Amino acid sequence: MKKTVRIKINGKIYEAKEEESVLSVCNRVGIDIPQLCYNEALAPYGACRLCLVEVVNGPGKKGITTSCTLRAVDGLEIVTDTEKIVKYRSILFELYLAQAPNSEEIREMAAKYGVTKTRFSKKVKPLDPLGNKCVLCGQCVRVCNEIMGTAAIGYIGRAFYTRINTPYLEKSDVCMGCGACVEVCPTGAIQMEDIQDKRVMKSWSGTEVKLKKCKSCGRYFAPEPIAEFAYTKLDPEIKEELKDLCPDCRRKLLSKREILISQGEVPMNGE
Amino acid sequence: MKIRRFEDLENVRKAGIKKLLPDKPRVAVGLATCGIAAGGQDVYEALEAALKKKGVNAFLTKTGCFGICSEEPLVNIVMPGKPLVILHKVQKEEVDLIVEKVAKGELPEEKVLCKIEEWDHLTLDKPLYYGRGYKNIPLWNEISYFKPQKKVVLRNAGIINPEDIEEYIAVGGYSAAYKALTEMSPDEIVEEVKKSGLRGRGGAGFPTGLKWEFTKKEDSNIKYVICNADEGDPGAYMNRNEMESDPHMIIEGMLIGAYAIGATEGYIYVRAEYPLAIERLKLAIKQAKEYGLLGKHIFGTGFSFDIRIVAGAGAFVCGEETALIASIEGKPGRPRPRPPFPAQKGLWGKPTNINNVETWCNIAPIIKKGGEWFSRIGVEKNTGTKVFSLVGKVKRTGLVEVPLGTPIREIVYTAGGGSATGKKVKAVQTGGPSGGCIPENLFDLPVDYDHLASAGSIMGSGGMVVMDEDTCMVDTARYFLGFTLDESCGKCVPCREGTKRMYDILEKITKGQGTEEDLLTLEELAETVKATSLCGLGQTAPNPVISTIRYFKDEYTKHIKDKVCPARVCRALIDYFIVPDKCRGCTICMKSCPVDAIDGGPGLIHIIDQTKCIACGTCMDVCPFDAVIKLSGEKIETPDKPIPIKKGR
Repeated sequence: MKKTVRIKINGKIYEAKEEESVLSVCNRVGIDIPQLCYNEALAPYGACRLCLVEVVNGPGKKGITTSCTLRAVDGLEIVTDTEKIVKYRSILFELYLAQAPNSEEIREMAAKYGVTKTRFSKKVKPLDPLGNKCVLCGQCVRVCNEIMGTAAIGYIGRAFYTRINTPYLEKSDVCMGCGACVEVCPTGAIQMEDIQDKRVMKSWSGTEVKLKKCKSCGRYFAPEPIAEFAYTKLDPEIKEELKDLCPDCRRKLLSKREILISQGEVPMNGE
Repeated sequence: MKIRRFEDLENVRKAGIKKLLPDKPRVAVGLATCGIAAGGQDVYEALEAALKKKGVNAFLTKTGCFGICSEEPLVNIVMPGKPLVILHKVQKEEVDLIVEKVAKGELPEEKVLCKIEEWDHLTLDKPLYYGRGYKNIPLWNEISYFKPQKKVVLRNAGIINPEDIEEYIAVGGYSAAYKALTEMSPDEIVEEVKKSGLRGRGGAGFPTGLKWEFTKKEDSNIKYVICNADEGDPGAYMNRNEMESDPHMIIEGMLIGAYAIGATEGYIYVRAEYPLAIERLKLAIKQAKEYGLLGKHIFGTGFSFDIRIVAGAGAFVCGEETALIASIEGKPGRPRPRPPFPAQKGLWGKPTNINNVETWCNIAPIIKKGGEWFSRIGVEKNTGTKVFSLVGKVKRTGLVEVPLGTPIREIVYTAGGGSATGKKVKAVQTGGPSGGCIPENLFDLPVDYDHLASAGSIMGSGGMVVMDEDTCMVDTARYFLGFTLDESCGKCVPCREGTKRMYDILEKITKGQGTEEDLLTLEELAETVKATSLCGLGQTAPNPVISTIRYFKDEYTKHIKDKVCPARVCRALIDYFIVPDKCRGCTICMKSCPVDAIDGGPGLIHIIDQTKCIACGTCMDVCPFDAVIKLSGEKIETPDKPIPIKKGR
């Protein structure tokens, strides 16, 4: 168990686990801080620079820093929304509005913090597989790498021309079609669609992943690599029984059996 | 042979001395990249052939660079018992003359730059004595280029052969490592480095002893030391020269550092664009292994240490320590937030100490002569020396090593000899693309970490670019920003998007399309990028813009309000004219113009059609009579069409 520490945010004292990120504390206690690249499940990344706070007291460096990379320690005192932070954040929002002109999420978020216009020319890339919505927060890349261990997508190029996609813009043969990237994307930039027996990762160079068919009802219910991966984690006996069943049919089977048992009958295998 | 005891080191030293002070003439050609580029390799080969042909019994060898690059190729000559003499600007055609003189025990006097009677290599108990004589030749430190200099880092550069470990040992090399490993405890070493006050020479100036202590304190059975040799600032080449001229001093520094913090493995991360440095480092590591100075049980102690070289993959941002570590691990060179610092979690997640090349170069003398000795060089809180690469529009270019706290004026005027063009020096740019421009009226500013920072620049790795009145400060800011914009890793928003937007505004201004609002936006962006970027690259990228706005705002205003480029650099804002009184009607400009904008003919006054002219400047370059002038915001009277030149003019 990590020890509990007390930190001061905007003059009020809050409890936190030692080394917990300050942004996580703020999110938990309801202090509003904008954020694009932060995800509790992933290692702190510090790329979107929106979660700025100012350290006014504490053992480390004072001044403006990102709260996602700032660790809670006893005696830490921070303030949010100072005049400077608001000013810098506004400019960052202007940069975002220009970078991802098609993103409704960015427009809404910027408007919430008072930025509705940008002074910079809109960065419109023709035929952008991410629909000119990507802000390069890297959540998709990190979830694919850190959580799924797949690394099907990565960064291409650098600087202003950085993009995210599959290596060499070729269909990925390692993508498992889990859709975690779609799930974590804060701007809804990633396109994925299930077409018959295939899951098509439209944004990722048209990568296709086969879907598994339910042996009971016949519908396609999960990408094959994900199902196979899940079966490796199951008890071999249960695995034999539940393999190739969609979640609905699985539930049906198990419920039915419970009922039969409660009525004193012995269910047949697969019944 | 393996060096285990002090006597072994002494024996190699004596063998090396015989090469430095042979009983026959020693002729050594400066063959660092600068010398080779100036034709040094040709001179070396010509000397080899001439000595053989004339049957002269001399010892021909090579050295690194002595620092005065504008005088390359340099050739050192030592006659037994006489001072070392440095010849400058030696051409291969002059080699026969040199060899003839050497054969007679004389010197080609017209080629002589200076002499060295004795040289303090710092790691020897007393200076190496060559001899006295040659009354008419000035001593090396009587030459104004060297007057403000003190050679600590460059203590052996240009004197010993960088490819021969025996010559390094001859001047006291590895004796500091011997002392450290056999007589000192790791704590004592860290204490000595702390006492010296040495600060990181990569630019940020973090106290080296403290950094070592952090890594030393970490409890881990595996630790690493890294030498950051990813030098990449435009116009800066100190580290390249340090590696090419004296690679063993880096290895020795790392060996001492590794012992102090308890590391068993070291990496030198060199940019791949430095092939000669890599070659010489590789050779030096091989030799050090042969002599048992790297490998297992060094000096017969229980300490083992090895060094590997990693060639960079061509990204400037890999000079940032967390990006550098990622690059060694085979990942894309992208910085990550700190903490954890490399001292806690560095290479492969293990405690790692990273220092710049030049920081490592200072270690051996500090151990040999003591931290106290080092702390007396320079000024308070800025101890020791710093090597600067003095380039740009200055008369004498090269590497200048001065004690910290030396005024800029002394570097630019005493060492550099002032303007190369005869035009007034306007500013110096220090610290490369992360630095700033310091105007001439602040040249009394002492060069140290703190004063440079207060003037809006940084020490950086030591680039110093001199600019004269023909340099446009807006264009300079645009140039440096273009560099960082290109080298941004693309991870964080302010650096990736912000620098591009700043660049766009600067480009607009240099095209004469800028507005006052643009300038305000530029300033706001600069402040935001500086304050909010993730790593040092973004945090310092706006410095060239901020400092030029701070000191040269009138130039920005002239571009914006008057559509004038005072330095006449920005192409969209300049016009070329042919002065009627000077034109001789030779037609050369007309024939050279790539867009047929010049009208004229033999014997006629030529005129430029301003609607067609693209301001490329070709006419000005080719005119043999200096009749073409460049103006910004001004015009001169010219005829409407070509008319005959008045007779008798």
